[in-house]
Amino acid sequence: MSSSSGGSLARYIAVRLLLVIPMIWVLLTIVFVLLRVAPGDPVSAAVGGKLSEDALDTRRHALGIDRPLIVQYLDYLGDVVRLDFGHTISDNRPILDVIRDQGGATMTLTIGAFLFAILIGVPLGRVAGRYRDTATDAGIRIFGVVSYAAPIFWVGIMLVLVVVKLFPGWPTYDIASVQTKFLVEPKTHVLLLDTILAGDGEAVKDVLQHHVLPCFTLGLLLSGVIIRLVRVNVIQALQGDYIEAARARGIPERQVVRRHAFRNALVPVITVIGLQVALTLSGAILTERTFNWPGLGTELVQYVTARDYVAVQGLVTFFALVVVIVSLLVDILNALVDPRVRY
Amino acid sequence: MYRARRALALAGVSGLILTLGAACGGDDGDGGDDGDNGSGDGATSAPWILGTTESITAMDPAGSYDFGSWNVQYNVFEQLLTIPASAEEPVGDAAESCEYNDPKTITCTLREGLKFSNGDDLTSSDVLFSLKRNIEIADPNGSSVLLYNISDGAEENPTLAEGAIETPDDLTVVFHLNAADTTFLKLLSTATTSIVDEDVFPADELLADDAIIGSGPYKLSQYKPGEQAVFEANETYDGPRTPKADQVFVQYFSDPAPLKTAIENGDVDIAWRTLSPTDINSLEDGGKVEVIRGEGSEFRYWVWQLQNDVPKEKAVRQAAAQIIDRDAITANAYDGTTAPSYSIVPPGFGGQKDSFKEKYGEPDVDKAAALLEAAGVKTPVKITLGYTPTHYGPNAVDEANEFADQLTQSGLFEVKIESTEWEEYQTLYKDGAYDLFILGWYPDILDADNYLTPFIRDGGFFQNGYSNEEVNTLLDSELAETDPAAREEQIGQLQDIVAEDVPLIPSWNGQNVAVTTDKIDGVQETLDPTYIFRFWGISKSE
Repeated sequence: MSSSSGGSLARYIAVRLLLVIPMIWVLLTIVFVLLRVAPGDPVSAAVGGKLSEDALDTRRHALGIDRPLIVQYLDYLGDVVRLDFGHTISDNRPILDVIRDQGGATMTLTIGAFLFAILIGVPLGRVAGRYRDTATDAGIRIFGVVSYAAPIFWVGIMLVLVVVKLFPGWPTYDIASVQTKFLVEPKTHVLLLDTILAGDGEAVKDVLQHHVLPCFTLGLLLSGVIIRLVRVNVIQALQGDYIEAARARGIPERQVVRRHAFRNALVPVITVIGLQVALTLSGAILTERTFNWPGLGTELVQYVTARDYVAVQGLVTFFALVVVIVSLLVDILNALVDPRVRY
Repeated sequence: MYRARRALALAGVSGLILTLGAACGGDDGDGGDDGDNGSGDGATSAPWILGTTESITAMDPAGSYDFGSWNVQYNVFEQLLTIPASAEEPVGDAAESCEYNDPKTITCTLREGLKFSNGDDLTSSDVLFSLKRNIEIADPNGSSVLLYNISDGAEENPTLAEGAIETPDDLTVVFHLNAADTTFLKLLSTATTSIVDEDVFPADELLADDAIIGSGPYKLSQYKPGEQAVFEANETYDGPRTPKADQVFVQYFSDPAPLKTAIENGDVDIAWRTLSPTDINSLEDGGKVEVIRGEGSEFRYWVWQLQNDVPKEKAVRQAAAQIIDRDAITANAYDGTTAPSYSIVPPGFGGQKDSFKEKYGEPDVDKAAALLEAAGVKTPVKITLGYTPTHYGPNAVDEANEFADQLTQSGLFEVKIESTEWEEYQTLYKDGAYDLFILGWYPDILDADNYLTPFIRDGGFFQNGYSNEEVNTLLDSELAETDPAAREEQIGQLQDIVAEDVPLIPSWNGQNVAVTTDKIDGVQETLDPTYIFRFWGISKSE
């Protein structure tokens, strides 16, 4: 029995990994076509208001973007197969360097956002489920809907205004002060880890301070999803036979909710939180822009503006891989946590 | 087991809260040692932080053609010449002097004892190497196009024109130009001619951003793309641009909103390029920071597409020039942060004259009507006016609406406004989608010709179909003219012809604006039409 289920999980993982290849190919093709269909190119974006058409054509020729599309496309696919993502057109950086240098900031932003989302969403969802159809439940549900629906950039700007007023001196943008970024040696390229490795308490404090506002803003978005999910699951769990049995044994209601209903209600949350990675990354792009966060989202927006084909293709591929890998990990985790799950 | 996990979780959460709580009660969280590790020993200023929305294309002078990169290069490299703050003419930088032997020959003599920040000697060979590699690399993001007068002009694999640069000894550089060009001295003061170390920079490709070595007043200590650059005083530099601050931080912003917050909160000491007119006025009204305005060289103008039927009629173009109310555009679209422009050449340049004001005077609908009537043009004249909503900032839409409204209100024009994003806009205006469209310009060199040749020689870079042999002859003549008075006369004639023919209508000239805290000194001096932000002259009191 266990051998059979283990085998099916391994097969499932293998299939999922194999499916990544056509998925990435389709994605690359869509991004490639969309970027070229859109008006403009890297040359006109940079110096279109400065040079004559002949001079612009010379630059296009130097970049090779005047070649037939099919030739560019096959060249690009060949490079990707060799794991050569190339250099950005607009600032001549290796794509892998961009991911390495800016990826850490996006990672700590999203992890921090998940932490805030769980800290806010799980307790509120639990309370809403426990006190279903009361004023408390209604209030929490409204909060959940608003936090999910409110535009991130608006929430971010509002929070900045509030924080500036109430806590003067609290950092409202960037991942750290300029001095911290200057003094801390980039060993892992994840600034928070680097400050910890450097053993610099002040720098760690500085970086954590800078994380609070952006992580909270993005976390609010996610908390809306979690509140609704936990609430529904708690309500369903409270209607289960085992809950009735627990109650019949005279276990106090508080313990019934905490030990039996709530814990079981959390299992599906793991899956759904995993599926929120894509939402989180898209939210991170807006959050980074709002807080001048030096992450991949900020870079992506700038490269799109610059019509930097190579950079956009590389970063979108990276984002897609992250989503696929996290989804896969969540599936595996879910199977391990819940023995009822089979593939 | 459950209790142990819960205890661990509580400890983790408590630790996080305590850490954040401690952080909340802390100071401004600079987390460092106040940056007191600069290298200079004679500086009198505390380190300061510049915030900007400009970005870096490349630190290597061969790979950039943008404000952000060029401003780093002005501070890290020397050029043969430099334009002092608020001056018009270049003076010696790495060169003691550069002088014309004739309109096609220039001899520069380097200062003795020049060194790069790594200790290597700077000689005439480095000058030759720097310019040659710039032309040969011909980077698509670079500015080698400006060196056309010493290039062989080949489309594939361009190189230095034969004999274009001679280096008879370590201190002498002789330029032989392809054509007479009295603006070349000014070109030698631009970042594209920055002198790089031939023992460090590759001849055929760009050097990595964080590896650049220069001989200017600062050296680059750290560069985090898109985040920040840190500069420290270059101890080997002994020129006149002595740095006041040992250390300068440049923080890059992707959006003006956090930059505004940063300067308001004192997180950056200076905000320079680019806050919107609304933000600048808001900051000024707030009174917490100082708004400093200097003369700028940004130029905004409306171009007639002469390949379309309606603008072919000169009277139509002249009538619009007669109607435009620049004061109203400045006041209503830009909150008074720009200056009305009455010439293709901005004020302050030799030979500049307000030709449009001389010819058309104040806005006058009756005169415009008379112009159209005399030419037999039926009114209202139907035209399509185009603009792009974001590339030139959020106020471009206000300007377009204001100008369109002026034309419509005159009763002489029926205006249809169209807009599209920059990428498509460039194609559309060249294809004739608009009869009248807006463009902006920053000069490469501070010379009147940089506002003339790119615009009015054979349709200009924007290809509007304007062509005038007299104009082309005058352009050739003023470029070769060594007598300043005669050249200014020719430049004046060109502006008069533009006012008569109206291939374009000048709208306004921009200011060079910075916002600073009250601890900063020296910014006013650097806010001039060159848009060079001279780090070395700026200081911060403790």
